[in-house]
Amino acid sequence: MTLLPFAHALAARQDLPIPAWLFAWGASIVLIVSFVALSIAWRKPRFEETRWRPLGAGLSRVLLSLPVQALCGSIGVLLLGVAVYAGLRGTEAPDRNFALTFLFVTCWLGFPVLSALLGDLFRPFNPWRAVGRVAGAGFRAIAGQPPAHLAYPERLGRWPAAIGLIAVVWLEIVYGTSGGVAVGLDPEAAAVAALIYSGYTLAMMAAFGVEKWCERGEVFSVYFGMFSQLGCFGTQDGELGLRRPLSAAARWATPYGSAAVVVASIATTTFDGASEGPLKGTIEAVFDWLSGAFAPDAALRLADTLLIAACVAAVGLVYMLGVRGMRTVHGAPSLAKLRVGFAHTLIPIALAYLVAHYFSLFVFQEQAQFTYLLSDPLGTGGTDLFGTVSSGVDYTILSANAIWYVQVGALVVGHVIGLTLAHDRALAYWPDYRDASRSQYWMLAVMVTFTCLGLYLLSYSNQ
Amino acid sequence: MRKAIRTAPVLAAILATVALTACGNSSDDETEAVTGQLKALPGAPAADKTAAGKATLERVDGTTTISLDATGLEPNTDYVAHLHTGGCDQADPGGPHFQFNADGGAEPPNEIHLELRSRADGAASATASSNREVPAGEAGSVVIHEAGTEHATAGEASGAESVFVHAGHHHDEPAPPAKIACAELEGGHAHDSSHEEAASRGGEVPTVTIRNGEPVGGVAELEFSAGEEVRFEVASDVADEVHVHGYDLMEEVPAGGTVSFDFPAEIEGIFEVELEGRKEQIAELTVNP
Repeated sequence: MTLLPFAHALAARQDLPIPAWLFAWGASIVLIVSFVALSIAWRKPRFEETRWRPLGAGLSRVLLSLPVQALCGSIGVLLLGVAVYAGLRGTEAPDRNFALTFLFVTCWLGFPVLSALLGDLFRPFNPWRAVGRVAGAGFRAIAGQPPAHLAYPERLGRWPAAIGLIAVVWLEIVYGTSGGVAVGLDPEAAAVAALIYSGYTLAMMAAFGVEKWCERGEVFSVYFGMFSQLGCFGTQDGELGLRRPLSAAARWATPYGSAAVVVASIATTTFDGASEGPLKGTIEAVFDWLSGAFAPDAALRLADTLLIAACVAAVGLVYMLGVRGMRTVHGAPSLAKLRVGFAHTLIPIALAYLVAHYFSLFVFQEQAQFTYLLSDPLGTGGTDLFGTVSSGVDYTILSANAIWYVQVGALVVGHVIGLTLAHDRALAYWPDYRDASRSQYWMLAVMVTFTCLGLYLLSYSNQ
Repeated sequence: MRKAIRTAPVLAAILATVALTACGNSSDDETEAVTGQLKALPGAPAADKTAAGKATLERVDGTTTISLDATGLEPNTDYVAHLHTGGCDQADPGGPHFQFNADGGAEPPNEIHLELRSRADGAASATASSNREVPAGEAGSVVIHEAGTEHATAGEASGAESVFVHAGHHHDEPAPPAKIACAELEGGHAHDSSHEEAASRGGEVPTVTIRNGEPVGGVAELEFSAGEEVRFEVASDVADEVHVHGYDLMEEVPAGGTVSFDFPAEIEGIFEVELEGRKEQIAELTVNP
């Protein structure tokens, strides 16, 4: 039998599975919290209003001024350029090349957490938005009128972003692990993918307008923006302000396909966790079955692709079952309204999955990011910009116990916030308080399923 | 009402805890199986050149069972197979017979022998068991010989690592009988002195054996607790660098040589050990808190 290369792109270490007793405690706490939530729940919706409070005109004027925007945009373009250049010209070793850690760890994992805490930080640094705006300003200066855009087909909603999100994860963990080596995506492939994505994004921005595409189709804007809805910082009418935490999320899912973005996020994280755990045997079986007809690399990628699609379908199915269940409760609004109306309640679960799955990778890999990868982005030993090229990653700063508690804690907190949002939304949708509570048995089942699946993936051991 | 509300979660928690803890503690089977593909040896007679199949060694609760399924043999012929200590690639494929007791006899139960007769289609199978467990790493290969001729290997070593098939044709020249095919199990690394050294220190030091650049028997599992000394050896038939990820230790190993690792287990987690040049994972190091 061919030995399959399974490993995360950069992981020099993997987390130990959480022990059985912690799994039991985590699951018990989740159940207790859920039942308590049902019994003590409030009767008036609390998160439907944002309670907007501006942070002060002076602060907004400085932070949202054109020079600051230009500076942030330039930083974004510069860093993307460094990553692409390092990917094309730097070492093939993924852990020594700036490109992979910067794109797939620092940005891809860092922005969701930062956005949830501090608001939509990606927006000012978004390199494509910056380039698109400069191009638009240039067009206006030359043509004397703003560029004409096509009307964005609203039926597409956020589907382009949902599909793009799956494509990004596919590139990282399906295309990347298939190279016949145990180190994952090679930096050059990441750089080429970034260039292709840049071309595609700029073309879409030219067609539909910069801001429109950022709201609907630009994967990173939509994905990071989704997490920024959880926090209390935001902008409104060109002003920075504070809002009630979680209140922005209640309005986020209105465009079509928003549920697909959350489902894609949960499903791809599930696949990444399960592909080295409970799904490993299945992947190998599908691989063996396919390897009669395909070369090993193609067969493995195809097997992974089939299973990532199965994960998306399964997560979507669980959500749809919950929605259909709620529809059966007396006084329920239409199926379409329910499907859109509860999508945002899964955002905290998606964030919890990310933290549970990638927390340790992020903490360890960021040490590399801010030491040797910054000093020697190409990884060829040619530069030592900040004198930190010889530093390494200190793996002793996190004990296995610390990682376990963060993982289980994240899942439990995500579960509680998800339940909170779902209960609040139900109060807004059902005129009768008791019907609203009854409908929430269904969302409770959905949340318990996802949280216990998350715990199960953490506790799964290969031994 | 309030009372019911308080009882429900507590009951749920107790039920969940009982159910989940029960799940967590189940399943621990002491079964371990190693399988090797049977390949014809260069010295096999023409009629046996197509030999193929597989040999499986299973250790269950202190016993050992070897089963052999062969195809492509000369039809209707008697063969014998033995468990050997060495790998298939050495000059004398399989090396000496495996013996439980080095001072014991060259017959079962001190050795493991299989007798088999090919059917009209050239396929044959056989099973042999011992009520003792062949020590880990000592079942090198299974070699098939011709039957009816005395096989003259003195089993001086205490390792079992290959099953050979030798066949019983009538040849004018006397022994040794032609070795027909060999299935590699745990790889027959030469038993060097480092092994006995380790044994004399009291602790058994696990050895990862590399054959043709790949770990014999699949990726080895090495498990330690934080604070212990991590000790293991890598015996390789190819020159490469052994890289312990996370701890970031790098040791060169020459072709046919052995390299020892000995370091404190201070980082918790699961780490890859790989042949750096070949990018081949050879072991998984687990350090538990």
